[in-house]
Amino acid sequence: MKKTVFESPIGQSYIKAVHPSGLEIYIMEKPQHTSAYALFGTRYGSIDTKFSKNGEAVTEVPEGIAHFLEHKLFESEDGDAFTRYAETGAYANAYTSFDRTCYLFSCSNRFYENLAILLDFVQSPYFTAETVQKEQGIIGQEIKMYDDSPSWCVMFNMLREMYQSHPVRIDIAGTVDSIAQIDDKLLYRCYDTFYNPANMFICIAGNVDAERILTQINESIKDKPPVTIERGEFTEEHSVAKSYVEQELDVALPMFCFGYKQKIETPIRSLKTRICVSLLLELICGEASPLFAKLIREGLINDEFDSEYFCGHGYASFIFEGESSNPERVAEEIKAEIKRLKADGIDKKLFSAAKCSLYGEAIRRFDSVDAIAMQFVECAMTDYNLFDELKLLKTVTIEDVTKRLALFDDDCTVLSVIKPRQTGGEA
Amino acid sequence: MSCKLTQIENGVEGIFVKNERFSTTLISFHFYLPLKKETAAGYSLLPFLMTTCSEKYPDFSKLNYKLSKLYGASLEASAEKVGDLQSLKIAVSVIDDKYALDGEALCEQACELLLRLIFAPKVENGEFAKEDVEREKRKAIEHIRGEFAEKRVYARKRLIEEMYGDDDFATPKCGTEEQVAELDGKALYEMWKTLLSKAFVRVNVISSNLPNGLFEKIGEHFAAFDRTDITDRFAHRPTAPRSEVKEVTERMDLSQGKLSIGFSCDTSGDDYATGALAVMCDILGGGPYSKLFSNVREKMSLCYYCSSSAIRIKGLLTVDSGVESQNAETAKNAILDQLNAIKNGEISDFEFSSSKKSLTDGLCTVNDSQAGIDAWYATRISNRNLMSPEDFAKTIENVTRENIIATANGIKLHTVYRLLPKEVKA
Repeated sequence: MKKTVFESPIGQSYIKAVHPSGLEIYIMEKPQHTSAYALFGTRYGSIDTKFSKNGEAVTEVPEGIAHFLEHKLFESEDGDAFTRYAETGAYANAYTSFDRTCYLFSCSNRFYENLAILLDFVQSPYFTAETVQKEQGIIGQEIKMYDDSPSWCVMFNMLREMYQSHPVRIDIAGTVDSIAQIDDKLLYRCYDTFYNPANMFICIAGNVDAERILTQINESIKDKPPVTIERGEFTEEHSVAKSYVEQELDVALPMFCFGYKQKIETPIRSLKTRICVSLLLELICGEASPLFAKLIREGLINDEFDSEYFCGHGYASFIFEGESSNPERVAEEIKAEIKRLKADGIDKKLFSAAKCSLYGEAIRRFDSVDAIAMQFVECAMTDYNLFDELKLLKTVTIEDVTKRLALFDDDCTVLSVIKPRQTGGEA
Repeated sequence: MSCKLTQIENGVEGIFVKNERFSTTLISFHFYLPLKKETAAGYSLLPFLMTTCSEKYPDFSKLNYKLSKLYGASLEASAEKVGDLQSLKIAVSVIDDKYALDGEALCEQACELLLRLIFAPKVENGEFAKEDVEREKRKAIEHIRGEFAEKRVYARKRLIEEMYGDDDFATPKCGTEEQVAELDGKALYEMWKTLLSKAFVRVNVISSNLPNGLFEKIGEHFAAFDRTDITDRFAHRPTAPRSEVKEVTERMDLSQGKLSIGFSCDTSGDDYATGALAVMCDILGGGPYSKLFSNVREKMSLCYYCSSSAIRIKGLLTVDSGVESQNAETAKNAILDQLNAIKNGEISDFEFSSSKKSLTDGLCTVNDSQAGIDAWYATRISNRNLMSPEDFAKTIENVTRENIIATANGIKLHTVYRLLPKEVKA
């Protein structure tokens, strides 16, 4: 296995190893911690609805299949993985997002046994017509739960107007109709494509021995010829379908999600762009910003207000979300503040404070084994080094950040609002 | 790792958890007062008011600028219910000085900032400024209304209200919207004085080093208050059983229903007294090995989620689940069947050992998180002695099947609350 050791200026280090199969392994030993966190992931998420393997014809699969596959992978012929983890006492879970699916556990005892379970079940699919049918009922209920969740709806309503063809617009779990089209054969086809070690990564942090882990992984990875995956191309225009969308749900105060669609030429954002945008969002509406003070003073936002750089393969947007009695005003104020910053420039004192703040946050993340493993996932997805963020935060300049203000295009925004129902509940 | 308790003042204790695995220092004040309908809203507003401004940092832009300069030091405020007490938290977390790029004394500045926020608030003519009070009232009211949007939280809140009726324990942790609306700067300032004189106070410090002279400084600040009449932190009223089960159904425009069930337990009290209840609750509806998950959710497919939790100090057990309207009755009966199975001693070796392993493994991870350690000691205020997560893990290991069955047999169905979609009649 090819191994590289990375060291940080603050005394941390980690190993990145690449298995001959192409599997990437990231490990940080934290001997002072009691617990450990391990994650086995694949670069496969809800946006992978069209793909081709090894140059074969393009396959189009039903929406929600990556999430469905995640649910099913826990099962094997002789029981499920949760039962096996129950024998060791580990906490286990899994999640599917737009561009990845991850299986994880955390524990303070019997780490190597737990790792063996993880390596085994993720590599041992077992799908039958009956088990698929049963899962359709369970996931159908999960989808209904999302239908009642205002925070989920406000985000997806926005994405559906912002993206016309890119599958980031579809619900991660799919719809009741789309998951009804899933069968065991389709699941195997997706599994055989995306669950190839060459498309996967393992991220571990905690009280562990890296060498022992590498030996164990080496012995457990099933030999499969690497695959070449071609992801479906989506021609996404730099425009939005509608700049405003609303829905009524059982909320007391309107919820909003206001996003700027970024014009992108390449599918992936660089780490430097991500850091500059994070600083920019802090300067536009962070808690020390003039805009935040104004919005709070005028009663337009509360502690739920937040911002995010939402980006992944082939999509990127700047999102502001929260609760407000007047979401339209909040969106106008955000636009006005960006315009002001474009005209007047960024305040030097606030820039230096925002840099300090993000630097401190980056340091803090090394305290938590979960947070380290999650950052390793980002490394695996974007191919940067875990410590690059600290280095870049020291060197990033006000000019670098100011330049990124041009990414905010006033003509490409969507405001999504969830309004209270006209008729409330009744006892 | 070590843990040391210091008596700072009458009813003010400091706990220093020496822990070298973190690059940050966490200092967390917890104030405990009796949970009362009349005062819950006012007290719960104070931590939020006190962490947005002070005499020295009169507006939160200045305060937040200072926090950013302290490398993103974070302030945290919260109001919770701990049994029959109301628990109010004000905490600061800051990275260690050695990480400061220009050698700044971050920890000392963060301690000073925290003490100023608590002991030197922004007061004008004997009251908190109207502008600040109205801002925090609005946020609190919006937060209370926001709970309505999350139906899982709402259903649980409604269950507790229905179970406890006029009892103070029915009071929501931040009071009601009407109670918040009535607050003013003068009343809140009086409550601030009562908070500092009558609350039982715990200060948790989790760090590689105890900041120099911190407990002494805290003692000096409290010396300015009359601390003779301190909240009794051991006074909790066990949940009384009901002779007739209370059934409540509420309907709203939803696609999925919620079913929340409350039980009274005849065992209640601190960690020393309730280890068996913790294991019993976990076997019923804890992890994926539990009876509710493996039978009601997986085998019978009656709920998308179905789990149990216990407020052991109150002798209260609850089950929360998401159900299809037409399955609500079947799900309720299935949940009760699972509890009855435990009462009848139907606990498999797998369930018994999985639950213990999961609980003890989880307890051993508490020390890997500052927030976890802080919450651990903050919520165990009614333990006579300091009990570490490892100590409680030992208690769990010693729980026998007989203990679990005896505990289960003291559990009685109290209230069933259903939140169902409008269009379908169950």
